[in-house]
Amino acid sequence: MVERSQKEVWRLTPWLVIALLLGNFILMAFSAKDITSGQRIIRVWGLTVADFVQSPVTSITSSVSNYFGSIATLRTAQDENGVLKQRVQELEVELKGKEELTAENDRLKSLLNLKETNKYKVLPARIIGRDPSAWFDSSVINRGSLDGVKLNMPVVTDGGLVGRVTAVSPLTAQVDLITRDKSGVGGVIGEIGSSTALGVVSGTSKKDLLEMRYVPGSTNVQVGQSVFTTGQDGIFPAGLKIGDIVNVGGGSASEALQILVQPAARLNSMQEVAVLLYEPPQRPDFEQRLPNAGKDTKKK
Amino acid sequence: MEQLKLTIALILAVVLQWTLRNVAEPFMFVDFPLIIVVYAALQRNSIRAILYGTFAGISVDALSGGLLGANGFTKTLIAYAVSEIARRVYMDNLLLRIPVIAGACLVSEAVYFGIHRIFGVESSADPVTTISYTLIGTTIAGTIIYISLDRLFTEKRTARKSEMFKTRRQSRRRNPIRLGK
Repeated sequence: MVERSQKEVWRLTPWLVIALLLGNFILMAFSAKDITSGQRIIRVWGLTVADFVQSPVTSITSSVSNYFGSIATLRTAQDENGVLKQRVQELEVELKGKEELTAENDRLKSLLNLKETNKYKVLPARIIGRDPSAWFDSSVINRGSLDGVKLNMPVVTDGGLVGRVTAVSPLTAQVDLITRDKSGVGGVIGEIGSSTALGVVSGTSKKDLLEMRYVPGSTNVQVGQSVFTTGQDGIFPAGLKIGDIVNVGGGSASEALQILVQPAARLNSMQEVAVLLYEPPQRPDFEQRLPNAGKDTKKK
Repeated sequence: MEQLKLTIALILAVVLQWTLRNVAEPFMFVDFPLIIVVYAALQRNSIRAILYGTFAGISVDALSGGLLGANGFTKTLIAYAVSEIARRVYMDNLLLRIPVIAGACLVSEAVYFGIHRIFGVESSADPVTTISYTLIGTTIAGTIIYISLDRLFTEKRTARKSEMFKTRRQSRRRNPIRLGK
């Protein structure tokens, strides 16, 4: 190893700093160029390496908290046991009635020759990591390309839409939430077939709040109405619940409504999510030839 | 040996940063890699501190939703600035290190936020709240970690201290009044 004098080190340091800062700046410039669509190889490596740490840590901490949680609930378990036994008996009676109804339903379905089909394949996943920075809210799930996860696939919970996959490693994937400012989801207020209140739902500067833009001011919109995906953004399928309207403001013949939406999924406390193995249908040839076709997809 | 210990501490800090937010949300307000990078910079080995800053920053960026390289940029900058200050001012005292880590944290968060604004990437977090909480969290955690690290590196510190005060003691011995006696 070459021994350097202190003077040499002092002379060398500013140049090293400049080189490293420049390297980081170039990385940032590339990252900013396609932050919502592309994925960088460093991010994929990072996800892969972190999986070996995050998965065991999450398993250990969840089992420890479950253990202590079970001790705490043990005291109330005896009282609950009595109530539950009674409820089980009630449910058994109810179940017998339901079984008869299901059998009847099956008979009728076979008569009508109907098939139950799942719209999309659902891949359950667990959140094993959260964004290490306090400024952003992305999450890491324990499913990756080996499980069939691809870039831009939608992520949901039983409550509603969570976000989409923005980086995929073989074992894990990074999910950007719909609350992120750069996110954009095509949304419709109410049922897609019957409603004309279409707009774009995007993140705001506030956590747990979305903004729906471009809804014409003349549209009748009420607080409490639900917002669903339209499926026209080329990423999310139609009919997923985004959230409920909590505030409606502004709006005139020439001005769009200012609509605030609360996400249906509990984004802060979710532990289990599901990845929809959904790939949007191919755009028609004439649409792909349009000058902004590529850019549109990236912005979403 | 010191370098190995510090490298292990840095890797541990990155791992903690990756995992602790999922265990308890308030840990997101502690910047563990920054604490170690500032500690390394205070050891007056500027090249090592700068390299640590870049490595730790990019490692955190790899799992963050922010810009890749933003943390690398800020931590490299902080490492250089702190090592330059440490070269000029004697800062082996813990009480002096507390304002250094607090200042480093403040600058780091402000630069990180500014970079994202320049590149047009907005965070959903409130800047004032995030910077304030991170400042508090990192300063408290930094003080505790520095006490532990100082114990780890005690031998080195003692040796450096004696080296530093050596010349002063010699000059006292040469005091003409004493010599006269």
